[in-house]
Amino acid sequence: MRRLIWLSVVAAIAIAYPLLLSSPFQQRLGALVLLYAIAASAWNIVGGYAGQVSVGHVVFFGCGAYAAMGSYAKFGLSPLFGVPGGIVIAVGLAAIIGVPTLRLSGHYFSMATIAVAETMRLIVTNTDWLGAAVGLSGPTVPRNIFDLSFLSSLPYYYLFLVILAVTLFITWWMTNSRMGFYLRAIKDSERAARSLGAPASRTKLYAYMLSAAFTSVAGALYAMMFGFVDPESGLGILISVKILIMAALGGAGLLFGPLVGAAILVPLEEISNSWLGGRGAGLTFVLYGAIIVLIARFQPGGLLSLFTRRRKPTSDTGASHAP
Amino acid sequence: MLLEARDITKAFGSFKAVDDASVTLEQGDILGLIGPNGAGKSTFFNCLTGDLKTTSGRVLLEGRDITDVTPELRAGLGLARTFQVPQTFEGMTVLENVMIGAFLRTAHRKEAETKARAVLERVGMSRLADAPARSLGTPGRKRLEIARALATEPKVLLLDEAMAGLNAHEVKLAIDLVREIHRSGITLVIVEHIMEVIMSLASRVMVFHQGKEIARGSPREVTSNPAVIEAYLGKRAAKAAAGRTPAELMGGPDL
Repeated sequence: MRRLIWLSVVAAIAIAYPLLLSSPFQQRLGALVLLYAIAASAWNIVGGYAGQVSVGHVVFFGCGAYAAMGSYAKFGLSPLFGVPGGIVIAVGLAAIIGVPTLRLSGHYFSMATIAVAETMRLIVTNTDWLGAAVGLSGPTVPRNIFDLSFLSSLPYYYLFLVILAVTLFITWWMTNSRMGFYLRAIKDSERAARSLGAPASRTKLYAYMLSAAFTSVAGALYAMMFGFVDPESGLGILISVKILIMAALGGAGLLFGPLVGAAILVPLEEISNSWLGGRGAGLTFVLYGAIIVLIARFQPGGLLSLFTRRRKPTSDTGASHAP
Repeated sequence: MLLEARDITKAFGSFKAVDDASVTLEQGDILGLIGPNGAGKSTFFNCLTGDLKTTSGRVLLEGRDITDVTPELRAGLGLARTFQVPQTFEGMTVLENVMIGAFLRTAHRKEAETKARAVLERVGMSRLADAPARSLGTPGRKRLEIARALATEPKVLLLDEAMAGLNAHEVKLAIDLVREIHRSGITLVIVEHIMEVIMSLASRVMVFHQGKEIARGSPREVTSNPAVIEAYLGKRAAKAAAGRTPAELMGGPDL
């Protein structure tokens, strides 16, 4: 019941935000927060719940972005048509990457995902068909509404809000299913989970593929809003890092963690960019580094974990001692 | 025959941790695996559960060759285990820990929860159901390991030092629990250091020393076997000990 009230409040704020704070800057900021919240929530499925810290998620982001722009630039179709294609490619790629890399544990998995992402960026940078270093552009002038090319950020805002709601709903549904339980078990002890019949490799792979699908959608939406994609904005490692930090800052493995993280980091970045102009780009990295250190040192569970209640055990059967 | 291991050898490089060990397990058995530290009993145990791949030899469950079957599929076939160092799912409640086991036989959350609660009731932990598992101490964790394994509805349950780290009173409670599990029709394999536990539970015992099986039989037979005493205490002590009861010499808490 209490959860429901909180949920309604958050939903009401999210719906009312662009109407209350209606300057173009504020609306754009809101849309960006939601966009990154989608990507970070998608990452959360495999990085948070399953504990497989992917630092190469931009690969899937890029699949979506390139598929959306490609469907316009190569075939003259609405970028919208590229979305299913992007999802299919991302999921397929996740399967190919996941089978060998998900066997790796801890940092080795993270490093493998970085390697894959950087390789992909270099391949795309050198592929003329994908626009090489210049990238691909979307429709400059919208031909019709299906091009999803708007001057105002308002339509994007609500589009992103709907997609985020869908992402969070599916994540929530997953965490309450057997798969979600298995993922949490695998995160704590893969060996024990397997001994109890949890098919660890398969479960992790499914989570990775599901995560890739939503990340791909986030990439497509990003490309549609900005109207273009190039290797840096679609496949750069900074995007992987951003997504990861947002989820970790808000609370990895918590449903609303990534949204909280995005709501803090995106405005911070936008403000620092507008203050420092082009010179601020390098500082963003410094900021992210500092945040990683702070989270790791003081609140490994993320900010939202401050609010999760700690239930005290009833220690009256003799089976429980303080460890 | 429920579980059978044929000529199991497990080598790490040139070192044979288990050298050509065989065992058969009938429905209703309680097989004890004993031996001094580093004797290879845990390695043998992990070959049975699939945590380690055997170098050679076969493992059969109900006549079916499961040598190359993964641990998760062995669980599905009715083989459950506990860990010597409890592998508690720290981020979950006690109930959720047990639900992971229950999910093996049902995909539905409600059903898994109902079953997990029933298992917790059975092992006497139902009052702790909603406590975070990380708040449990060693005895609680050991018991939780058993509860989780029971929730998978095993035919054979393998306990890896389920009593290690418990005090005499807790050992007694744990022995009662194991007896109750045995009465419910589950066949057991127990690796144990505490002689008293083996003496009071096992119907058959297999003794390991330096990777090889050196004796097998009833607990009484095995503990009066000179080779066993020698393995535990050394040659001279074995001579000196002639005439004394081996269980006395091998220690274990007075129960």
